[in-house]
Order: sequence, then C-alpha cells, then structure tokens
Amino acid sequence: MQRFANPNRFAKSAQRILPAIIGAMLILFAAGLYLALVQAPQDYQQGETVRIMFVHVPAAWMALLVYSLMAAAHGAAIVFRHPLADVAAKAAAPIGACFTFLALATGSLWGKPMWGAWWVWDARLTSMFVLFLLYLGYLAIWQASENGRGQKIARIVAIVGFINVPIVKFSVDWWNSLHQPASVFRRGGPTIDPLLLSPLIVMALAYLALFLALWLMTMKTEILKRRIHQMQIAAAEA
Amino acid sequence: MDFAAPNIGFVIAAYGISALVLIGLAIKTLLALKARERELSELEKRQAPRRKVGHGR
Repeated sequence: MQRFANPNRFAKSAQRILPAIIGAMLILFAAGLYLALVQAPQDYQQGETVRIMFVHVPAAWMALLVYSLMAAAHGAAIVFRHPLADVAAKAAAPIGACFTFLALATGSLWGKPMWGAWWVWDARLTSMFVLFLLYLGYLAIWQASENGRGQKIARIVAIVGFINVPIVKFSVDWWNSLHQPASVFRRGGPTIDPLLLSPLIVMALAYLALFLALWLMTMKTEILKRRIHQMQIAAAEA
Repeated sequence: MDFAAPNIGFVIAAYGISALVLIGLAIKTLLALKARERELSELEKRQAPRRKVGHGR
C-alpha cells in the first residue's frame, strides 16, 4: 500500500485501471438488469415486488461495506500514517451516503406493499437510519472544517460510528423484527433460490464496480484539489 | 416482468429512484473531476512563465 503513498503515482494508477472498472461495471449492470427484470421469476408470495430486492439489498450491502472501509482507512491513517488513507475515507463518504439513502428509500417502497407501512421503527430500519445520520454527520464535519481539526473529528466519528455496522447486520437476530433475517450471508449458506440469488450477486458486483469507479474518481478529484490549494498558497507567497 | 401485476408501481419507483441517484452521483463526480483538472491545467499554464523567468535568473 505504501507504493501508492505518493498521490501523483496513485492518480496515474487510478487513471490506468478506471477504464477496466467502468467496462466491467457496464457489463455487470447490463447482465444484472437482464437477470433481475427478465430472467428472475416472480416470487410465489411477493409476486413482482421481489424484484425490488435486486436494487435494495446491494445498496444496503454497499452502505455497510463503504462505512467499514471508511473506518478501516481512518484506522490506517492513525496507525500507519498513510498519506492517502484520510483522502480515501473522505472520498468514500458521499458514495456510501447515497447507497444508504437508496437502501432506505427502496426498502420503504418494498415495505409498503409487503408490510402495509412505508416505515416502522424496527431494529434493522432504525439502525440503518442511524447509519445514514452517521454519514451525514461525517460529511458535515468535512464540509464545516477543511483543517486538521476537522480531519481528527472525522476520524473519531468514523471509527466510533463503526459500532453501528454489526448492529445493523445482527439487528434482525438480536431483536424481534419485521425485516426478514439474513438469507445470503449466514451460517449454513444462502437460503434464497438460485434463480433469485444469481441476479442479486451480479447486481451486487455491479454496485461494487460502480463504487470503485466513483471512489477512484473522487479520490483523484480530492488529490487535485489539494494540489491546486498548495499551488495557490505558493503563488500567493511568491 | 409483468407490467400489469399488482404493486408494479413500487418496483418501477424503486428502480427509477436507484437510477436517478446513481446516475446523478456519477455525473456529479465526473463533472467535479473535470472541473479540477481544468483548474489545475489553467493554474499550471499561468505559473509556467513565472517559473521560466525564475530559471533564467
């Protein structure tokens, strides 16, 4: 990882791998949407509404993964003092916030026909909403302060807030919940039918590729922003 | 997909909002990157003559 400690080298490497990631993302989205909307059968209980799963579940997985990455990146910034670790965490946050919003919004659209309610203060939904608030709070800290103090507070929020990630994951096991329990990442393997599981996995990979592409672009933008800032300071001092 | 099925509106809305948010985010990210690249190249162009003068001294 130290190889990419040089921001210029990182930006050049990102530029090289971005086309491959974008290409893979487009193929995965095309295949995933075909499998999700054409190939996958209706559910015997939920009918067509089961198709919401193919956009809801990947968004929820990505929301948790991105927050975990942010906490890990800030941890790496503290322990290894990697110069790009804070940049990586900051760049991931708006993308993670969008995934969390989508998990909540599509969940609500799925909940209304299935549970008869747009929203319930259920353990899974509430902990996911807390995750969304953590993202917003984290972004607000960066927005309010671009100096080192803001960076320190952002690190604390991301690392302390990580405690919410296992709460979201295990909320359906620890408390009585309207939300269904885990049916993919569970001991004993997935319980979901392979005809529904394959589109879900392909869509999740498409979301992952989209995240990687946007993350690299946002990191590059942040590196350029910092370089511009340094050049402006140098010009002002000259 | 059966467009006459009950509750199909919820499915369309879920895919619609997902597409809107993700495409919007991708466009915003791309525009921000292009704007920074343009800003940096303009700054480099402006500072290049000064550097040349500095080297000549």
